[in-house]
Amino acid sequence: MFDFQRQHPVAAVSRAFSLIKGNLVTIIVFLVVGARSESFPFLWWIGGGFAFLLVAGVANWWRFLFKIEEGELHIKSGIFVRKNLYLSKDRVQVIDITSGVIERLFGLVRVDIQTAGSSSREAAIDAISLDKAREINRLLRDEDADSEQSEKESVSNVKEFSLPSKELLIAASTSGSFGIALSILATVFSQVEPLISESQLFEYLFDVLPSQTDFVFFVTVVVIFVVFAWLLSFFSTLFSYGNFSLTVKDKEMVITRGVFEKKRVTVPYNRIQAIHVAEGMIRQPLGYASMHLESAGYGDEKGTGSIVLFPLVKRSEVLQLLNEVVPDYQKEMDGLKLPKRALRRYLFRSTFLITAAIVPLYFWLNLNNWIWLIPALAMMWGWLKYRASAVGWNEGSFIFRSRTLSKSTAFINRNRIQNITISQSPFQRWRKLCTAEIHVASGDRGKSFSVRDLEARTGLELMDEIKIKKGPEEVSEPFENSNRKIKLPNWN
Amino acid sequence: MCYMKNTPFHKLPPRAIRVWQMGSAIGNLFFFGIPAVYAAVFGTGSFHFWIVLATSILILGLWIFTVAFLPFLSWKNWRYAVDSNEIDLKRGVLIKSRTLIPLSRVQHVDTRQGPLLRWYNLATVTISTAATTHEIPALDVVIADRVRDQISKYARLAEEDV
Repeated sequence: MFDFQRQHPVAAVSRAFSLIKGNLVTIIVFLVVGARSESFPFLWWIGGGFAFLLVAGVANWWRFLFKIEEGELHIKSGIFVRKNLYLSKDRVQVIDITSGVIERLFGLVRVDIQTAGSSSREAAIDAISLDKAREINRLLRDEDADSEQSEKESVSNVKEFSLPSKELLIAASTSGSFGIALSILATVFSQVEPLISESQLFEYLFDVLPSQTDFVFFVTVVVIFVVFAWLLSFFSTLFSYGNFSLTVKDKEMVITRGVFEKKRVTVPYNRIQAIHVAEGMIRQPLGYASMHLESAGYGDEKGTGSIVLFPLVKRSEVLQLLNEVVPDYQKEMDGLKLPKRALRRYLFRSTFLITAAIVPLYFWLNLNNWIWLIPALAMMWGWLKYRASAVGWNEGSFIFRSRTLSKSTAFINRNRIQNITISQSPFQRWRKLCTAEIHVASGDRGKSFSVRDLEARTGLELMDEIKIKKGPEEVSEPFENSNRKIKLPNWN
Repeated sequence: MCYMKNTPFHKLPPRAIRVWQMGSAIGNLFFFGIPAVYAAVFGTGSFHFWIVLATSILILGLWIFTVAFLPFLSWKNWRYAVDSNEIDLKRGVLIKSRTLIPLSRVQHVDTRQGPLLRWYNLATVTISTAATTHEIPALDVVIADRVRDQISKYARLAEEDV
């Protein structure tokens, strides 16, 4: 560990493979189209491409050196331009150990060392043995040198939570990645569509569905699409959250998950920026929620820094679990609902656009009366958003609750708040309302939690609460004389 | 508001209005390209003529508004305050907003200057936290340097980890 060393040679191959994986759809389409042309140079191109990738992979592997010295990770990389990356362990936010299918064949893992800011994306070691990864994890993580000792001592404090398979199935079938799956399908379809439409498939379909109108055909296609998207999201959730377990230790928590690609994320407690609990549209009626945490590392590929703390848990058990996992967060406090006059704004905002679009369509196209169900649903959505919105605070802890599609309850501590913005539009000024938005560090861009149409006075009190107290800490009872007072988070 | 602590708020220098006027006068010329391109593509036949005319008038109106009024209004609404604990920014013409940045969250602060700002001897102070970036636009260069040094001094004193 204290001398420069290389990754396992498999890194050369796995890098080439990850490049292929990243452009999989394009490559498949290219192959399918190319194979039809049956021209000789095409195969040369493919072969040459693979050879180039392999050579680049080997060169990259050869020139990639890393060592850890005095709590500092030093990575040298780059084939022609040499890059030296120094990463101090004080800045490490999250350590992420992944093993994909290829790596697992060789008993290897990939280590991502995440710090705040995106430059640490380069601090990733593609393929090393699990033992070495563990050692890196240990060297970069522990405060004291005799960590081996402390690790043994703290074994008694280790608690482990896993996801029962019943809940895994519910999580998979109600997963919110449905929309993402739909868009992936649409992308694939748009790439493959020219091939299908040329073939006899469409004519075949038309033959199978004899004397059907275009409308029925259209509906069938949509239904097939939706079912496929659902299956895709079902299995992708199943595979990425299968074998889920959350291990709580003294100073950190370890989240492991994945069936084929195993992921192991280590988050130190003092790096948690915020916690939020999401109750999805389908999950909320079933009484389930998912728990997430925000870290300043880059998190997933989208760079949001959100990490799933627990994929699915009964709403009535959320508080209990949070108490076990993050005991230093205050979870229950008094809060304020929105004033009644905000309801009108919520209803208006959610229905205005859709109604304005539907009214002319209704008269021009002579649409069915059922179309008015859409504004009614939008109105209900507005009411739900109004109902969900609330804000509460107590001694430097804050709860922001709001809804876009899913209802989200965020727990934020004052020392993690990067900034707060209170804003008022002219209408809000007239109604004496305001919007409060809090930013916390998360991934590359940070994450914001906001509540719209708060009482203007509440907004200012909130801002005052976030200010660093200059005098002695006064015990504030901010909601004592308000008739909009509620208990947060109120999950029982 | 009796419960807000009284922090002395500063205004931006009136020269900022000039800079913004110049900036939007030049920058918003771009929008005249829309009717120009439209005219180039469809010609100025009887029907298209009215569309080109309408969009030109609309854009001219907007252009006059952004040059003659908007800079003044946004200057009038801009306030900033820096004390040993927080940075407090007030701004907005239609949507008024107020942002509070605890100094212990400030990651770095710098001043920058475009050619237009340099011409008027002004500079912009940029404040970055781990999540967001804020700026105090168009301060006098001397004051900008002072504000920057002040923020970085206070931020060092208030040092805490992310």
